[in-house]
Amino acid sequence: MASHHSRNLWIVWLTFAIGLLLSVSPLPQFMEILRPLWLALLLAFWSLNLPHKVGMVTAMFLGLAEDVLYGTLLGQNALILTLITFLVLSLQQRLRMFPMWQQCLVILVIFGLAQLVQLWLSALTGNRQPTLALVLPALVSALLWPWISFGLRGLRRRYKIN
Amino acid sequence: MGVRLLVLAVLAVALMVVDARFDLLKPARKQASLVLMDAYWITDLPGRLWEGVASQFGSRTELVAENEKLKTENLLLQGRMQKLAALTEQNVRLRELLNSSALVNEKVEVAELIGMDPNPFTHRIIINKGERDGVVLGQPVLDARGLMGQVVELMPYTSRVLLLTDTTHSIPVQVNRNGLRAIASGTGNPERLELRHVADTADIKEGDLLVSSGLGQRFPAGYPVATVKEVIHDSGQPFAIVRAVPTAALNRSRYLLLVFSDNRTPEERANDAAQAQEAEDQKNGTTPIVPATVPKPASATPAAPAAAPAATAPVATPAKPAAHGTHPVKPATTKPPATSAPAAKPPAAPATTRQREE
Repeated sequence: MASHHSRNLWIVWLTFAIGLLLSVSPLPQFMEILRPLWLALLLAFWSLNLPHKVGMVTAMFLGLAEDVLYGTLLGQNALILTLITFLVLSLQQRLRMFPMWQQCLVILVIFGLAQLVQLWLSALTGNRQPTLALVLPALVSALLWPWISFGLRGLRRRYKIN
Repeated sequence: MGVRLLVLAVLAVALMVVDARFDLLKPARKQASLVLMDAYWITDLPGRLWEGVASQFGSRTELVAENEKLKTENLLLQGRMQKLAALTEQNVRLRELLNSSALVNEKVEVAELIGMDPNPFTHRIIINKGERDGVVLGQPVLDARGLMGQVVELMPYTSRVLLLTDTTHSIPVQVNRNGLRAIASGTGNPERLELRHVADTADIKEGDLLVSSGLGQRFPAGYPVATVKEVIHDSGQPFAIVRAVPTAALNRSRYLLLVFSDNRTPEERANDAAQAQEAEDQKNGTTPIVPATVPKPASATPAAPAAAPAATAPVATPAKPAAHGTHPVKPATTKPPATSAPAAKPPAAPATTRQREE
């Protein structure tokens, strides 16, 4: 696998760029609270499918980019995304065998944990979110996982990314 | 893999600590934002395009009607402006009589909103003016109806503005009707501010206009902030509960005004003015005046002519140093009111043009 020449990796980066755009795209007020964790979803998929190309270091850099975009402390989202990627990678063997609904559940738990860490970190920096509504994005992301998964798998087959 | 996580996590935490405590990472952040902040611009593009298309295909009658409306509005505003000019001048004159600094006009610049903060729990917006446009940290931001917030993060071509209603934001205000001071804190609800620690017996009632009091040294005084919506006297509470609605359309305004106010301390202002006066004197070749603070009636006579020609002669452009120069001389020139009257005119304009140079 490692001896294979990597092909079409730019598509992976393109999806990450789109993910960054989606994570700041304007949404109606009531949907802001439901904004899926696009970058986390993409990272989860690519680290599951291309574990030799996309890993925690990628997650770290994307997280730093997100920090600059969001104006949070440099390293906050980086830590969260690294954590998510780590959890996904450590469950990799099992996750691949799971049926889709079980994958969704695992994603829900991982993202929920990450959001709780997020809550804790933002409480440290002084703006604590008043509710636990911040777990909602994890739920939305888990519901989106099958579509993201199918879509990206199709993309991967079509362009033979590896 | 665990080791890698550990290393990266430690790195992330170290970055956070450094970013929170020191300015070390600010340049890197600014560089990164040069590229990354385009994301806001790109995601804003569809809306912008749609607006462009809509205006292209707007019907003629609509445009004519809008034009008509704008014309009447303009006429009304200009009518009000005429009155305002006279009032401003009067205000400046009265302030000079009182020996207090003129705080009448601030320079404003229009900025455009290009993005909202994606986090729904914070009220921050991104605007399209940044450090290269002269924006400074803590700069107040207005819209057409009132104060909106202040700049909290500077990037080269964009900046982040914290709105009044963010839970971490408070602003010193006073009731326009009677000058009662209070602190208006954000609640996280874009339509509500709360006044903290207002005594139960305080004279404040529904419909009162709250204006910025300028006491925090951050916001200029006298801009409308909110109108009081309800005052609840609960005998179980130590203070009255006062809720107010921001006058600015915090979640609707697209065009904002950046206020360039005088952020120098009074001493700096006096020093600058003294220097300007000196430079002016040297240019005019008059004898250097005795320091204005010396309350000698003899010194008032040379000082007054020095100030008067400087203020009257250059009418169009270079009136700024002269106008500033009149300030330190003020203690000496208060005696003859005739000289302070012509000198009183310029401060309104130059006070603004000067800051741009800084």
